[in-house]
Amino acid sequence: MKSLTIAMALTATTALPAFAGKAEVLNTYADIAQAGYEDSLTTARTLQTAVEALIAEPSAEALQTARAAWLAARVPYQQTEVFRFGNAIVDDWEGKVNAWPLDEGLIDYVDAAYGGATDENEYAVLNVVANPEFTLSGTDIDASDITPELISETLHEADEVESNVASGYHAIEFLLWGQDLNGTEHGAGNRPWTDFGTGDDCTNNNCDRRGAYLQAATDLLVADLEWMAAQWAEGGEGRTAVTADEDAGIVAILTGMGSLSYGEQAGERMKLGVMLNDPEEEHDCFSDNTHNSHYYDGLGVQNVYLGEYVRVDGTVVSGESLSSLVAAADAATDAALRTALSHTMMELGQIKTAAEAGFSYDQMLERGNEAGEALIMGAVDGLVAQTREIERAVSALELDQIGFEGSDSLDNPNAVFQ
Amino acid sequence: MKSLIAAVAVCVATTAHADLPHVLDDHIRPAIANFANASAALHEVAVQDCSAPAVIPAYHQAFDAWLGASHLTFGPIERDGRALAIAFWPDSRGACPKALAQLIADADPVVDDPVEFAEVSVAARGFFGLEHLLYGDSFTAQDYTCRLVIAIAADLERMAGDIATDWADYAQVMTSAGAEDNTTYLAPREVDQTLYTALLTGVEFTKDQRLGRPLGTFDRPRPTRAEARRSERSLRNVVLSLTALRNLARAMADAPIPASEAAFDAAFDTAAALDDPIFAGVSNPTGRLRVEILQQKVAYVRDALAAEIGGGMGLSQGFNSADGD
Repeated sequence: MKSLTIAMALTATTALPAFAGKAEVLNTYADIAQAGYEDSLTTARTLQTAVEALIAEPSAEALQTARAAWLAARVPYQQTEVFRFGNAIVDDWEGKVNAWPLDEGLIDYVDAAYGGATDENEYAVLNVVANPEFTLSGTDIDASDITPELISETLHEADEVESNVASGYHAIEFLLWGQDLNGTEHGAGNRPWTDFGTGDDCTNNNCDRRGAYLQAATDLLVADLEWMAAQWAEGGEGRTAVTADEDAGIVAILTGMGSLSYGEQAGERMKLGVMLNDPEEEHDCFSDNTHNSHYYDGLGVQNVYLGEYVRVDGTVVSGESLSSLVAAADAATDAALRTALSHTMMELGQIKTAAEAGFSYDQMLERGNEAGEALIMGAVDGLVAQTREIERAVSALELDQIGFEGSDSLDNPNAVFQ
Repeated sequence: MKSLIAAVAVCVATTAHADLPHVLDDHIRPAIANFANASAALHEVAVQDCSAPAVIPAYHQAFDAWLGASHLTFGPIERDGRALAIAFWPDSRGACPKALAQLIADADPVVDDPVEFAEVSVAARGFFGLEHLLYGDSFTAQDYTCRLVIAIAADLERMAGDIATDWADYAQVMTSAGAEDNTTYLAPREVDQTLYTALLTGVEFTKDQRLGRPLGTFDRPRPTRAEARRSERSLRNVVLSLTALRNLARAMADAPIPASEAAFDAAFDTAAALDDPIFAGVSNPTGRLRVEILQQKVAYVRDALAAEIGGGMGLSQGFNSADGD
């Protein structure tokens, strides 16, 4: 409370800094989105080249190169997740590129312990790689040619089951790494390069179809990212939508920050995994890249608040920030939110550090592993705390009445009395 | 800051606060105590006789009591992921039967150590773990599953007791909102916001999950996704949850809420006439329409509460755990 009093005194006695306004803040936000999706596209193209090389000339080195390209591609993409929940254009699209968790048996062979079809998903072990023809929801499907169209229009979310993830980063990840069969022990998926081998080199059968699937899924990812990057360029729909109404645009930023922090990352992705002790709840479970996935999600939230994003080539996109907008309304609220975001990044950084030193995220999920649980719950608590500060920022900006989600009653109070 | 002070002044002048003593005394404290008592009773019964016929009535009573409190998803119930451990649902990946099967296959001795059992996957604990054991085929009173039933009941009693203990302190945190040393609630308005978020989130959970999951889509209804269908509690949970939410709304409101009352009444009437305890009817067009109508009535409840309580107090819904996917 003391700091609040001081802050009050400060704002009362000193002139406010010259401040550009909401329009500039929204421009910065759209610039960061554009740069983030452009970087995601650039790095996905590198992955595409590596996949082409792997299929043309399969080898352990070529597989390793493709895996490294996938890991690099995740760095910018995860930082764009903060754009999801506030922007309909992103939320409607993102399931194509980052859907998770998946029943990977839809795509390729799995270990016997994986089980078969489930109450929830009849097609959990469809195995498209092994089957050029099959029946899906009563329709005969010709999958002799595995194309981006087959993946996006027929296979993805087949039978209206969300875990039938046929496209995107995690489908590609599965094809590059294979299942992680180490449980809560150290170790990622260990698909042999010979799964893409030609002739007698081929292991686990259907190597040509597996390669075709990988290629088609990667091509599709590139096409989807091209589309999204264009939406944030000058005149693009994403940029236009968020800049059209200043107050609604600022609410979109804060909604994206809060929804990703709380319901999605703290809850669905982190706390649930610890409480289920289930390594399949790892976000990047095949590659054991979950620590980075979480870290860059958190960084994305901080980026849009501070109005600064470091691109994959090291250049910086920055401009008028939401932070300065909040500070102009209430310096103490801004300071508290910045502190909360920094704290979360430190907690997420500890998970990343431990994982990179050999204590992998799946080990942290093991039942009774107190150190792992403490690391993960530390970050969860940080994310929950920053969500409260985000709500306070909404109040400080007097945007409470906008509502975080559209609702009939808020848009049209009379609707409920009809 | 000046504008905030102005805003606060405006709020004081024009908008009311939730009646917190009323909310605590008439809603939260009784609900928490009821859940603690019912969970203790469940454990006591299970220890005496762990057979399904003996345990089932106490299971229902404790589950009923949980529905009186489950919407209070902040503070003590959120702490340590208790809500998940008490009632892990929806379980879209079938983790519950898998986790139970694993414990049973290993005859995992963790069931004999309450401290260790608190670390077990939430999928094997709480009311849904118990439901699978009491209503599944694998249950026989003589063997390992008997000890598992007792362990789950004991774990529920422990958590319910911890929640009751923690609420004694947490009520103080809410009451002292805005005090210098209160870092949780910087102003009474934040308490209102928390209660209001819990209220709307609870209604939305019933609409989108309890009713929305079995409804699926017209082409692909999902009757097996109904909540607690094995113990035939799907509709009962909807009704009890709405009852608890109406209690909270009434306790919060500082003025009459006629539109909300009417919307609740309409939802209860529709539920009473439904005659489909597990929403099995979603698979045929007529039955489906009836469940859809109930869902629509619950949507009206949400909108009425948003207008009367949210609008009346100048509140907006905060972030909630359903904001993700």
